[in-house]
Amino acid sequence: MHPSKQGWGFFAAVVMIAFIVLANPGSAASNKLVITGSSTVAPLVGEIARRFESRNPGVRIDVQTGGSSRGIYDVRNGVADIGMVSRALKPDETDLQAFTLAMDGISMILHASNPVEALNQQQVVDIYSGRVSNWKSVGGRNARITVVNKAEGRSTLTLFLDYFSLKNSEIKPHIVIGDNPQGIKTIAGNANAIGYVSIGAAEFEINYGVPVKLLPLDRVDASVDTVRRGIFPLSRPLNLISRPAPQGLAKEFIDFARSTQVHDLIEAQYYVPVSIH
Amino acid sequence: MPEITFVRSRSILRDRLVQLLVYAAVLVVSGVFIWILADLVRGGVAHLSWNFFVDSPRDAGRAGGIGPILVSTALILLVALVVALPLAWATAVLLAEFVPATSKFGTIVRYSLQVLAGVPSIVFGLFGNAFFSIYLGLGFSILSGGLTLACMLLPILVSTAEAGLRAVPENYRMSAAALGMSRTATLLHLLLPAAAPALAAGLLLGIGRAVAETAALLFTSGYVERMPGSLLDSGRALALHIFDLSMNVPGGDAPAYASALVLVVLLLAINIVAMKLAYGLQRKRIMPA
Repeated sequence: MHPSKQGWGFFAAVVMIAFIVLANPGSAASNKLVITGSSTVAPLVGEIARRFESRNPGVRIDVQTGGSSRGIYDVRNGVADIGMVSRALKPDETDLQAFTLAMDGISMILHASNPVEALNQQQVVDIYSGRVSNWKSVGGRNARITVVNKAEGRSTLTLFLDYFSLKNSEIKPHIVIGDNPQGIKTIAGNANAIGYVSIGAAEFEINYGVPVKLLPLDRVDASVDTVRRGIFPLSRPLNLISRPAPQGLAKEFIDFARSTQVHDLIEAQYYVPVSIH
Repeated sequence: MPEITFVRSRSILRDRLVQLLVYAAVLVVSGVFIWILADLVRGGVAHLSWNFFVDSPRDAGRAGGIGPILVSTALILLVALVVALPLAWATAVLLAEFVPATSKFGTIVRYSLQVLAGVPSIVFGLFGNAFFSIYLGLGFSILSGGLTLACMLLPILVSTAEAGLRAVPENYRMSAAALGMSRTATLLHLLLPAAAPALAAGLLLGIGRAVAETAALLFTSGYVERMPGSLLDSGRALALHIFDLSMNVPGGDAPAYASALVLVVLLLAINIVAMKLAYGLQRKRIMPA
């Protein structure tokens, strides 16, 4: 017995297998699309891509995540064919073309046990800038307010700041969060917390019994329904972006993602398909 | 006399107290592990089934299984180990056996490895994305993920292997030299087997860190949940899948728990097997019956 020879033999076999797998060229690059960007949009586009692949054999669509800013960066650099951005494009982003897939609303959420039923704009601004720090001042119980804010670079943060005319430097957050379900979990675990998240994500969790509630905004109920009817004041488009104008496979995919063939997928992620407007 | 009894009873009391504290510490440590495991079992065991292990994820991971994700994770790990192990263990042999412990060269290598060990994994991820994915043109692929992890594993593998080799008693080397064994033969037949438990422990730490890695893989091996066809395909790692399910997919908690349970059980199994193998190797090579 020469265990060392066995060891080297095993090692050599592993290396050979690795190279055999490596040598397999996979699919041709022309039938492949790379899509990167917003983590809010990525699960939805992943589902759309799977359906597109099953209807077009031989096509491969790789969906990567990392945030809206990353989607824009990757499309500009040519790393991605299509980007995902969970907000409208800004004036300095006119080099890109946006194609809206779906709409999503953003609203304030509180713990379900919090007696506060509504907050007006000034109250939200006061709470987030630290001028009001106790729920008693806005008609709640005597308890300190825990302010939950979104991390820099998140589209939800940009939209929230725009809507309430706040600057991020004015906000005095106690907790900074990333993705929507993280925000919902944070509020569900703290009876005195306030945050803002995607209405779709919140409605999904509320249906599963998570103890949070959505607050109306400017007296409009926050629900997928009011976003669908176009009356909810703080809503955003979920966009696919490309530069230059999409051609070939990219165009086929964008057209498919905006067609009625994927509306069930969009609704399954609690977003609102656009052509229903 | 009463004075002595008093002193003795006091020292007995102190011994008991120390014993109690030690047991309490052990209880807390294993309690944390059992709590985590129990929590994972409670949240995930109902979701486990054979199909969960072989199916592809559906509905953003809320339904379906983790088949392709297990395959991607295994391939990423394989690439990382195939690249990192020879490099790391060769470096450790150089540092422990061929370079004096106090030499300038050894100190520089060791210092740079220590710095590397302290670098946060997201930095490795950004480096891997910039170097492997973009500069070398590997794109989002299992290969770039595995290579990024290999860079991350080097410091752990080198330092554990070096410590293991240094712990081999000096008279082993003397005896081998006295018997006229070459340095290569001494290394292969005596020193490495004698250090096998340390090598295995380092390997396990490395595997544990690699399998648990999320940040470094997000921008290198990527987010694609399809069954990989080659090492140049993007493939989602298990830890990344758990992170996405619990933080980015509303209603993804049950599959996240189940996936985490699979991850922990997998790590336990790898631990047990590797420890057994290392012990067996050590006994067979340097303690012949």
